[in-house]
Amino acid sequence: MERTQIIDSFAAAARDPLSYAKQWKARTGRPVIGSFPMNFPGELAHAAGALPMILQESDDPITVGHGLLFPFYCGYTRSMVDQAVRGDFDVLDAIMFGDHCVQLLGAADAIRMQLTNTRVIFFQLISSMCDPWTQGRSEESFAKLRAELEDFAGAKVQDEAMHASIRLFNKNRGLIRRLYDMRKKGIAPLGSVEMQHVVKSSMVMDKAEHTELLEKLVRIYDSAAPLPARNVRLHLSGHFCQAPKPELLEMIEQCGVTVVGDDLYHGFRYISTDVPEQGDPIAGLARWYMDRNTGVPCPTRVQNNVDWDAYLLNAMRDEKAEGMIVLMAKFCEPHMYYYPEVKEAFEKADMPHLLIETEHDGMALESLKTRVETFVEIVKHRQAA
Amino acid sequence: MNIAVKSPFEEKKANKLQSTRIAGKLVNDYWEMVWRAKEEGKLVCWYEGSAINPFLEAADICWVHGEAYSAMLAARHQEGTAQRVAEERGYMRELCSYARTHLGCAVSNQRLRGDNAGATPDEDDLTWKLPPPDMIISAYAYCSTGQQWDEMTSRVFGKKIPIFNVSLPWIWGSKPDAGYLRGQEWEETSTYVERQLFDMVKFIEERTGKPYPWDRLYSMMADIRRASELRLEAMELCTAQPAPASFFDWVVSIAPINNLPVAGVKDYFETVLTEVKQRVKDGEGAVPDEKYRLFFDGIMNWNKVGWLANKFAKWDAAVVAGRYTHMAFWQEPSLIDPNAPVRGMAQNYLICPNNHAAPILIDLIMGLCRKFKVDGMVIHASRTCRAFTNPQFMIADTAHKQLGIPTSMFEGDVTDESFYKDELLNSRVEAMLEAIEHRRMVHAA
Repeated sequence: MERTQIIDSFAAAARDPLSYAKQWKARTGRPVIGSFPMNFPGELAHAAGALPMILQESDDPITVGHGLLFPFYCGYTRSMVDQAVRGDFDVLDAIMFGDHCVQLLGAADAIRMQLTNTRVIFFQLISSMCDPWTQGRSEESFAKLRAELEDFAGAKVQDEAMHASIRLFNKNRGLIRRLYDMRKKGIAPLGSVEMQHVVKSSMVMDKAEHTELLEKLVRIYDSAAPLPARNVRLHLSGHFCQAPKPELLEMIEQCGVTVVGDDLYHGFRYISTDVPEQGDPIAGLARWYMDRNTGVPCPTRVQNNVDWDAYLLNAMRDEKAEGMIVLMAKFCEPHMYYYPEVKEAFEKADMPHLLIETEHDGMALESLKTRVETFVEIVKHRQAA
Repeated sequence: MNIAVKSPFEEKKANKLQSTRIAGKLVNDYWEMVWRAKEEGKLVCWYEGSAINPFLEAADICWVHGEAYSAMLAARHQEGTAQRVAEERGYMRELCSYARTHLGCAVSNQRLRGDNAGATPDEDDLTWKLPPPDMIISAYAYCSTGQQWDEMTSRVFGKKIPIFNVSLPWIWGSKPDAGYLRGQEWEETSTYVERQLFDMVKFIEERTGKPYPWDRLYSMMADIRRASELRLEAMELCTAQPAPASFFDWVVSIAPINNLPVAGVKDYFETVLTEVKQRVKDGEGAVPDEKYRLFFDGIMNWNKVGWLANKFAKWDAAVVAGRYTHMAFWQEPSLIDPNAPVRGMAQNYLICPNNHAAPILIDLIMGLCRKFKVDGMVIHASRTCRAFTNPQFMIADTAHKQLGIPTSMFEGDVTDESFYKDELLNSRVEAMLEAIEHRRMVHAA
């Protein structure tokens, strides 16, 4: 199978996850469980025999959803509600929520009120990450979620099944991390849109099918030699629940940029951390939940002993990135809270960065392009100086 | 942006409760006490959200409630500097304006007194005046903003201040036994929060270096329980027609029940209750000519308390109850056992006006609308307080369907005046009142 065919398969699922889910359901006769980003483990739903699918922002304009959420909410939450009201989520047999963001909670309420025939499962994950009880409380949350899924599926979710799911998900994450490493070294010249297809499709596709394709893709690059790079090396940061628009990523790369690393949720953040494969699987998932916030700190959590800004600077040193573009989804409160910390740390470290606020509906790409081009020139100028 | 201009209907004004003037004095005294705290050698704790202040007051720690400070600045129209300082540091305008204002105070405080001190403070500028914290306690129901705001405050102060997080889960209420103050989820969540509060007390003991004075807390909670009962009794009397007090009087009375020193609170609400009883006896209303009775959904627009009170009075509209005032602030005194108050305190923290999912929340609101016999509902869509705006379309829809009453939405904000749209409020509320009038004519015919 050619590289292009593999990427095209990923892109198809990433562009239209709900159609993929319908086909999967028709093929397997098994249930589909949608989950909200960014912290609920798909492994649990997978072990219950379902297709876990992280629900994605739609490209469609918000229409009827305006009747349930105000326009001053992030595009992701508005799009979720809009898709629910339009009936797009009919393919879902259940939806899992469990996060803390106040806008997501609003969406959870609105969706439950709309989808009266869909099981909406909620159990709130602790978002304070370094308390003595964080591990224990996380275990309680995942144990309750397991019990809800068992009730939903009408069968026990056995430890063996969970271990098998954990192994499969770890393998998938590990392969994508290899691609990230290859990209960083110039061996795998994957554009940021292609990398998004790889990660986003992993969020929605059957994990075994996705892993099989990933293995083929990784094999293609295994023996490749590093390509010479002439572009400015940049890190992309931010954008939590929703994927950045491909046209925005393409525009950035057209400005003479090679993206060498990211901490996007539809990127490295999603695959950064593995679940322990030994021991109690629920304790393992709780460990994973905590580890990933020390691995790639997230501003949606609070953890006084880790710093996202310090992580970013370290990651960029490792990636040999010369600057960073911050992609902030408009109205994303956690990002707005943390951004001044990043800004100050980058100014102090004399590391250039550019903030771009993104919107669900159209963005003025031409004017953004001017800003990115100017930023690239600044970075080049600094390198030359 | 619409600029609020002088009202052309000056002749009718809200007939405010005289006793609420005492609240103004109590509030001023409290902030004076806060500003003196360091001179008096007191430990200072910053917190937002839940009323954990009795825990602190009992331990002789000066408590500084973030929203209360932002609200006070806005009510005095002195919020601008803090908001500008916050914006300069990179906090964006769409962030919770309570937090933005308070973080502006923290940044300003750090610049003037902290590691990089050097600037000269302006004595008249309240932005910098808060004493810096010796500890931070985060205990915020429902809204993720609270926890992140506290974390950012800690970071503004260089992470040198010990911080303690109490996690207050949202009550989702999906099980068959779920409901207001009942069901397995309610009990389990209460236990979880109660456990954390006991750990919080250990944190306080570590800061003070003294055993926690439980007896003082018990005594204070007995007073708070009584004050809450008095407040609720006075509110209940506003089912009378005309209503003797309005939502705006209860807004002014939030600080006494929520964050002022406990010693004066019982007396305050006794005075309020006495005045309300007298008004009922005299048939005296909160607006000069009560023609319409409205429910107010949403948080307060702190720059506009008096302005809005007078505006509704001129429309002969008594705003008789609201989600913000009537569903929070030691709302369930019977849960507080003065001899073992911690569980009841935990439960009251879980009853913030947003911390139950929409089905339970909306039922409670509809119950209030029925009890107070409202003709319509005015909904304040506060731009930066998504905690309050989350269920508002569903509330409006249910009010139409269940009660058959009209609703009217307007945009504003908690402490950022620039989001307030006066003309929208005028035209929409006037249209709603016309609709109420029309319905009355149809029913009379």
